[in-house]
Amino acid sequence: MASEPQATPTGPATAPSVRQPTAQWARGPAVPVASVVFALAIGAIFVLLSGHDPIAAYIDLFRGAFGSPYDITETLIQTIPLVLAGLAVAVAFRTGLFNIGAESQLLIGAVAAGAVGARFADLPGFVLFPMVLAAGIGAGAGWAAIAGYLKAARGVNEVITTIMQNYIVVFVMHWLLQNGPMTAPNALGTPASAPIGAGAVLPIIIPNELVPLTRLHAGIFLAIAAVVVFWFLLWRTPLGYELRAVGLGARAAAQAGIDPRTRIVIAMAIAGGFAGLAGMIQVTGVFHRVFDGFSSGYGFDAIAVALLGKNSPIGIALAALLFGAFARGGSIMQANAGVSAQLVSVIEAVVLFVIAAELIVRVLTARRRERKPLEAIA
Amino acid sequence: MKRALAFLLLATTVVAACGGNVAASPTPSATASATATAKPIQVGLVTDVGGLNDKSFNQAANTGRLNAEKDFGLKTSVIESKKQEDYVPNLTTFAQQNYDLVIAVGFLMQNAAWKVAKQFPNVKFAIIDGAPANDAGNTENLPNVANLFFKEQEAGYLVGVIAATMAKNMVGKATHNTVCSMGGIPIPPVDHYIAGYQDAIKTISPTTTILNGYSNDFVDQQKGKEVGLNHISKGCDILFQVAGGSGLGYIAAAKEKGVYAIGVDVDQIDVAPGTVITSAMKRVDKAVYDTSNAVKSGSFKAGDNFFSATNDGIAFGKLDPVVPADAKAAADKALADIKSGAIKPKTDLTVK
Repeated sequence: MASEPQATPTGPATAPSVRQPTAQWARGPAVPVASVVFALAIGAIFVLLSGHDPIAAYIDLFRGAFGSPYDITETLIQTIPLVLAGLAVAVAFRTGLFNIGAESQLLIGAVAAGAVGARFADLPGFVLFPMVLAAGIGAGAGWAAIAGYLKAARGVNEVITTIMQNYIVVFVMHWLLQNGPMTAPNALGTPASAPIGAGAVLPIIIPNELVPLTRLHAGIFLAIAAVVVFWFLLWRTPLGYELRAVGLGARAAAQAGIDPRTRIVIAMAIAGGFAGLAGMIQVTGVFHRVFDGFSSGYGFDAIAVALLGKNSPIGIALAALLFGAFARGGSIMQANAGVSAQLVSVIEAVVLFVIAAELIVRVLTARRRERKPLEAIA
Repeated sequence: MKRALAFLLLATTVVAACGGNVAASPTPSATASATATAKPIQVGLVTDVGGLNDKSFNQAANTGRLNAEKDFGLKTSVIESKKQEDYVPNLTTFAQQNYDLVIAVGFLMQNAAWKVAKQFPNVKFAIIDGAPANDAGNTENLPNVANLFFKEQEAGYLVGVIAATMAKNMVGKATHNTVCSMGGIPIPPVDHYIAGYQDAIKTISPTTTILNGYSNDFVDQQKGKEVGLNHISKGCDILFQVAGGSGLGYIAAAKEKGVYAIGVDVDQIDVAPGTVITSAMKRVDKAVYDTSNAVKSGSFKAGDNFFSATNDGIAFGKLDPVVPADAKAAADKALADIKSGAIKPKTDLTVK
């Protein structure tokens, strides 16, 4: 599957990227695919070292992720938040920003959705669901916009602010959910909020007779819609053009009459909206409440997803599916082949390492290319 | 155009993958049930997010699993949960593969176990430290779920005997006749430990000052350390932690200030040699081992199962050389008295 699209898009690789930014994503599925293959090879060495059969382990990994309809639906459940958080990172990347705060944007979206969903639990679905949706997206967007504003108005590095925001939300959640205003009196042994109203719950989309026990919820449609919105927004609207222009060169964009400062705030707000939607979907689709320790690093995996997916819509969807499959398949591999699920983390780390190395090379060569014409002018 | 092509490719691949699997799926499950009668008893263990190397109850549960596999000729597997949302699918995975017993480690999985156990009435489940809890958070016993509880107050009592003896006789660095404890969050299993501890101290050394506090956390070491330093500043020189990872900070405070600490759940003597003098242990490994055996021998019992001194489900850990012989003798005697029923440690706190 992965090797087929690889052949066609490598063609325009020589085309100048600035004039054809749309084609940029298509330039290199070769690198992501190669990095995954390389990472699997490294992973195989570790499996061998731990005294197991790598082929058997990978077969179990694949079977765990796609081996039965139930497994596929579980993989997709893992994929949904990764897609949305990946988009949150990618929107910022496209605007030249490094959004490390997708985690806190996701969490605050979840908290807002959970709070509204529980507070107005008795409202009918057609009123409650839009409210919860707006709360999740709005909270994520507003929260991320703060980092955008600080960058635009004060020049504060968004890497620093978004990392600090992650801590703020985690500790606010401790307060809210451990004997705080959101704590439910009877919370399943773990600090958690009261359940959201039935009207806000995303329905299971596959009937139990078809795939017994499946938990696949309608959030997958929201995730697909978000991918389309991401593509349309960035490549089919004036705003998207401006964001990408700022991302390619803020000073050049300013010369062309695009104020980078407002675009930075807008880009962060959009990014936060995607991440907030991810949190909202986890609340309304999977847990039906918020609890402490809600996300275990989707916002951080999302950085890897965006990089592996080259910040392109399809790339992110595929990368998220890969990471979702790793997450689901890893558990099954451990159960059946006896290989530690930590192997998956090794593979993911190697993927990220290769991608990052490629990024460094690209940035260095791009710098050299930029400098040359300038020297020529002088 | 290229993009459309790629979308199409993706779509066809996904459809093909789904279609192929729907058709293929009945075969493996059919063969699985056909061979079900011939295969050995299968036990699956699902850890909570603490993971296999938590030096606490997940690790202890895994030890029990491996021992049971060796001694009873079982086929066993383990899945580490990385996220709370993995609990349901991980438990489901074992249940779908027709495992005979699926063990959920930790009260965090009460709701997940309830969900899955209801769907698989023919599979037996066990929850360490918990009972099935429905979506409203209320306990609801199920006919195929064993709730494995521990009498933590008994383990707390045993280490309380050692602490009280040392405080009373001013052994080593214990010079202020003040002993303390710290819980994570005030939930029943935590408070039971502390209640037993305080009961022993009040019984053996009524003049000893007792302090208690909470870190309100099971993970954050810094919070535990702050409570510990505060306790030590008030004269505590024996500190008993019942707070998981946060409790390691409590022990660290004791180490820093050169006083004594008592570990919990598993033998924590190696956490800080010279500081940790003993540990209040609940034998999670024994619970897993015994429950696996019960499934094999057909004596599996749903509902509440208690592990206590009577069935060696609780104990005190290895002792540091500083612990005098009379303290050990007193703890051994207390253990015998609890077994015989002569001592019944309290479950309510004496000092809040």
